[in-house]
Amino acid sequence: MAHSPPSPSASSAPAPKPSSSLNPSLPQAPSSAASGAADDLSPALFDDSRFDELVLRLSRWSGALPDWPPARRTSAEWEQIAPRLERARRELSRVLVVGVIGGTGTGKSTLVNALAGRDVSPAGDVARPTTTTPVVVVARDVDCAWLPLEATGARVVRSDSPAVANIVLVDCPDPDTQSGQPAAEQGASGSPSGSRASDTNRNRDLLEAVLPACDVLLLLATAQKYRSWSVAQEVAAFAPGRPLLFVQSHASRDPDIRDDWRRELEAQGFLVPRIYRVDGLEAARRAQAGLEPEPGFAELVRAIDEELVGRAARRVRRTGALDLAEWFVGQSRQQLAGLREPVEALAAGLRQERLRLEGLLAKAVEERLRASRPAWQRMITDELVDRWHGGPFAMFLHTLSAIGAFWPRLRAGRGGVISQVLAGGAAAPVTSAHAAWQSVEEIGLGEADVEQSRSILVGLAARARLGEPLVGRARLSESQVQTTVGTLLERTGSWLVAGIDRLVVDRRSRVDAPVVRMVCESLFSGLLVAVLVRAGWNFFHGHLWLGKPVEGLGFLEEALVWLILWGLLLRWLVFARLRRGIDRDIQSLLARLPQAGLVDPLLADFASAAEKTANFLDEGERLAAAAAGLAAATGEITGNLGRLRGGSP
Amino acid sequence: MSPGLPPVSPTPTSAAPGGAPATLPTGYQAWAANVGELCGLIEALRPLGAALGVPDPTGTEWYGQLFGKLRPQVTREAVLVAAVCGGTNTGKSLLTNVLVGSPITQSVPEAARTRCPVASLPRGMAGRIDIASLFPGFTPHEWTGTEDSLGGGAEGDDLLVWREDPGGRQPPRLILLDTPDVDGTLRENWHRAELVRNACDVLIAVLTQQKYNDAAVRDFFAAAAAARKSVIVVFNMVDWPRQRERIGGWLRTFTAETGIEPLAVYAAPHDFTRAEAGELALFALPELASGMTPGLIPAGPIAEAQVDLAATLAGFDFDRIKLRAMDGAFRVVLDSRSGAGGWLDAFESSAQQWQEAKRLLADEARVRVDLPAAPRELVWNEIWNWLEPRRSTLDLTVSWAYRKAGGGVRWVARKVGLVRTEEERREDFSAVELKALKQALGDFIERLDGACRRSERLADMLGGVLVGGDRAAWYADLERRHAALPIVSEHYQEFVRGELDRFSRENPEMVRWILTGLNVGAVARPAITVGLGLAGAAVVPAAAASAGGLSVLIHHAGDVVVGTAATLAGEGALGLTMAGLKPLIERLFAGWSAERSQVLAETLHDVVLGGRLDEIDRLATAAARPEVAQVRRLLFECGREFT
Repeated sequence: MAHSPPSPSASSAPAPKPSSSLNPSLPQAPSSAASGAADDLSPALFDDSRFDELVLRLSRWSGALPDWPPARRTSAEWEQIAPRLERARRELSRVLVVGVIGGTGTGKSTLVNALAGRDVSPAGDVARPTTTTPVVVVARDVDCAWLPLEATGARVVRSDSPAVANIVLVDCPDPDTQSGQPAAEQGASGSPSGSRASDTNRNRDLLEAVLPACDVLLLLATAQKYRSWSVAQEVAAFAPGRPLLFVQSHASRDPDIRDDWRRELEAQGFLVPRIYRVDGLEAARRAQAGLEPEPGFAELVRAIDEELVGRAARRVRRTGALDLAEWFVGQSRQQLAGLREPVEALAAGLRQERLRLEGLLAKAVEERLRASRPAWQRMITDELVDRWHGGPFAMFLHTLSAIGAFWPRLRAGRGGVISQVLAGGAAAPVTSAHAAWQSVEEIGLGEADVEQSRSILVGLAARARLGEPLVGRARLSESQVQTTVGTLLERTGSWLVAGIDRLVVDRRSRVDAPVVRMVCESLFSGLLVAVLVRAGWNFFHGHLWLGKPVEGLGFLEEALVWLILWGLLLRWLVFARLRRGIDRDIQSLLARLPQAGLVDPLLADFASAAEKTANFLDEGERLAAAAAGLAAATGEITGNLGRLRGGSP
Repeated sequence: MSPGLPPVSPTPTSAAPGGAPATLPTGYQAWAANVGELCGLIEALRPLGAALGVPDPTGTEWYGQLFGKLRPQVTREAVLVAAVCGGTNTGKSLLTNVLVGSPITQSVPEAARTRCPVASLPRGMAGRIDIASLFPGFTPHEWTGTEDSLGGGAEGDDLLVWREDPGGRQPPRLILLDTPDVDGTLRENWHRAELVRNACDVLIAVLTQQKYNDAAVRDFFAAAAAARKSVIVVFNMVDWPRQRERIGGWLRTFTAETGIEPLAVYAAPHDFTRAEAGELALFALPELASGMTPGLIPAGPIAEAQVDLAATLAGFDFDRIKLRAMDGAFRVVLDSRSGAGGWLDAFESSAQQWQEAKRLLADEARVRVDLPAAPRELVWNEIWNWLEPRRSTLDLTVSWAYRKAGGGVRWVARKVGLVRTEEERREDFSAVELKALKQALGDFIERLDGACRRSERLADMLGGVLVGGDRAAWYADLERRHAALPIVSEHYQEFVRGELDRFSRENPEMVRWILTGLNVGAVARPAITVGLGLAGAAVVPAAAASAGGLSVLIHHAGDVVVGTAATLAGEGALGLTMAGLKPLIERLFAGWSAERSQVLAETLHDVVLGGRLDEIDRLATAAARPEVAQVRRLLFECGREFT
């Protein structure tokens, strides 16, 4: 059976007054029961700090993702649960409020009368329903102004009966005579319309207003009513966090149906340690006559005294709070269970689209870099030349470089990122969406490609019930384009600059060894020296000594040509070594592209949403485990009280 | 009252009890035929109603009465069905056994144990009637033992156990049933009880002081009262005689709440020992029953004559009760708000909403595709190919020489990298075109999303596609179709030839001009509009709509219409000098572009939307179906006869 949270009418019941003003008047557990041992509950029974931590984590978790509709629902449910948990913690020592519930005619009022020791609530078989306003039975010295029941018109009755000395007993209206569907089951066919007495029957509404104030439910059933659907609906809605006493009434008339009822309750998710069986009429008669109670009733009174009074009351309240927390997290998990797969599908889709876009980017960058081979080579040579100084060969290289500078540099493109980077500049900031898309086209990512990825992800996100504002639309707005594409360009620019710099330095270091330099300088200087020696020999020995005529400029011109050719040959040899393997360099650069996360800004909203939702679901799992662990550590401490099992399916 | 129904007699007729069926009134056959036709039509419309989003009528009172009561009985032997109904553990099974005179259903202390109805048929009836059609919704199952009733069957598999009366004491036309509860935690029991309630004529309401005013019990019997079923009330588990005085008050509450006028009222004292022995004492309370005939019901205990209630039932005027029940059932069906008419109203109003949704879709889901300029030589090549056989030798020679020379120049230009090759240009074009188509697909998805936000109906129909659809597969499909599309298809070549042939027939003079003065014109970027063709020609721009060949393309796409608006511009446009040629060239380019964007239309139709557009169209026209008018007519006629 699906357990629904307390219905809206329940939540609209008056909120409990602040405890500070209540505490002085709160009836405390009798000193006899609480004395000495009142606070000796071992930590194993209930670890407050662990529970506090659990509540804190639940609170944080439930409000962590206010923009995600499934999480919003969790948060709304937490809003209803949290005050109860808080109250349970603050008012540990207060007496328990026991709500007597059950179908009409099951003998609720009769039992309340028997417990109160006199007729406090009208009972009988004259008309159904009999109880139309709640009746609150309290001991004479107890102030019950803190009970949030004003709106229900509840009548307060004082009793000296020992059975109600340490509890507050509420005779609740029935859930099964009001027409229409319970709040938990709205939407099915209604009842025939018309003006009838039952049209004014508000018993179920009243019941739903009373039950939030109750700490424990005393569920009464007869052979005719223990399988009543309307009663089961109400009990399921209010049982989370409220331990129960199960009682079969009409013991003298009805057969013993306790075994079958137990099976029914267990099928509904209840733990049923015990079901009491009483004859309310006989008990009330004996109570009024001052006779010994009949055994079934005596057992019930004993159970109330042992299970709900004094130290036991604290235990019950703590167990109830823990059950409630466990139920909440279990319910939330159940509601969120179907979202795990879509959230994972979104993450997988995100990885795939990222890969696709990176593939496009890598392809375009590779093509561009290959096509920009001259610029790429120039960078490397410039880098080397800049570092070589002194010596004739270095001078020769510098001269060539200076001459080359006169020539228009062979640019890779028309101002794109890669061209700018290869030209030694940084990426220029984008000024408009159109300009942004134009710049980004150069690196292979068209508007259509980005939109395709985003559209696919919008579909996947919608399956995970993610929409705006957590994720954007498929088409980026003007401002989004400027920021996301701008970031993409900036990142790509700096990534390229860093990568290319690293490669250039690496490549340069291959030839930038002193030995290479010395060899080059020696070889170049050798020819130069040879030319100078030859010219000197010719002049000093041939002309001055032997008196031969000076050889003309022809020799020098010839020598210069040879010198230049020699220099160029040496330069080619040096740079050939530099240039070889540029393709390999480009590959190694692109291999590092996925780690750079260049396309992330384009899909950042989806990545963030997928991460947040996955974290939310994971934390839900961890909290369920924590609640179950805490419950296991606390153990079964409620004796003969029944409980709705924790929400974990 | 139904047409020609005999006046209701307050005393048993000669036909009852049992014996031959009463003579059917005049006009009854026509009435029965109307009911049969009405049922057939409603059954035929029901799937369409479900598709329209109209709430399923199968759970409603009128549907239950029409199909559970009227249809099974209008054309069959008039049997009287009496069912024992009530809340859990009120003693229904015990009472049934007492009425039948032998245990046919297990009476146990536990509640809600009767999971399926048990019917006791008079001897020999099983061979005469079709039990399945008498109790629609149930699968009949022959009785093997009293525990049959406890088995039930899974939800959706509703069993009805039947047995013929072994003693032969049961009146020949009376069927008695034990039914599951109407208020327990097993909701399928409620459903089964409702099916039995619809099918029966007489309900024996088993009430207790705990349950007579429970909402679930009240609602169950109020529906029976609305359908004018005859009801016998048995107050069970009465603290007799202490509570005898109370019963009047309880009954007043019950009748006031449900509108039931009981035929008879009985009280059964609470006696656990006798109940365990399968016995039940019944006391008649004639002073409380409006329909009770003094003298017919014996006063005082009738425990010793346990079949007496059954005998009393047998003593009733079967035809009167039956006609009353059928009359009541028909009233429920004809109720203008909660009856079949109400369902039909919802049907029509839903169809109207679908019509609006269809209009919205036609207005909203229309995307302009900005295709790149067509490589003009593609179209011109086709024109040249057509012209080739029509040109003079000299013309061809000159043209050949020019082409060779031009080819040489282009070869050089390509070699030095100044001009891209034709292959490269086509690749560039294809890439840009694919991007434009993808962007259009993205636009389309957004627009559909927007339309869904504005129309709940569309959200129901298309929301699943937009949320659950594999969008990556849509894009992949578009890419696949685009890759498979040749740059000039045979279909297009045929289209060009057809257009030019037609043109040359109509304008022989102009063709001469073309042959001499044809020049290359530049074509501006064509704008294609792809829309869901629900608004018809409105989506198709004039230029395209007038093109005969294009309409073929349009029809190929089924519901998705591709329209083309191509404009010609450029220095060489012949349109400037030859007004008549411009539309032709436009059509040729438009045809080419339309074929290109056809792939988008196909993806949208085949992969993204599937058959949903046809479905929307079907739903939007649902109200105009002849069956709807026929149901209206039948309801009107039946209603007229009724009043």
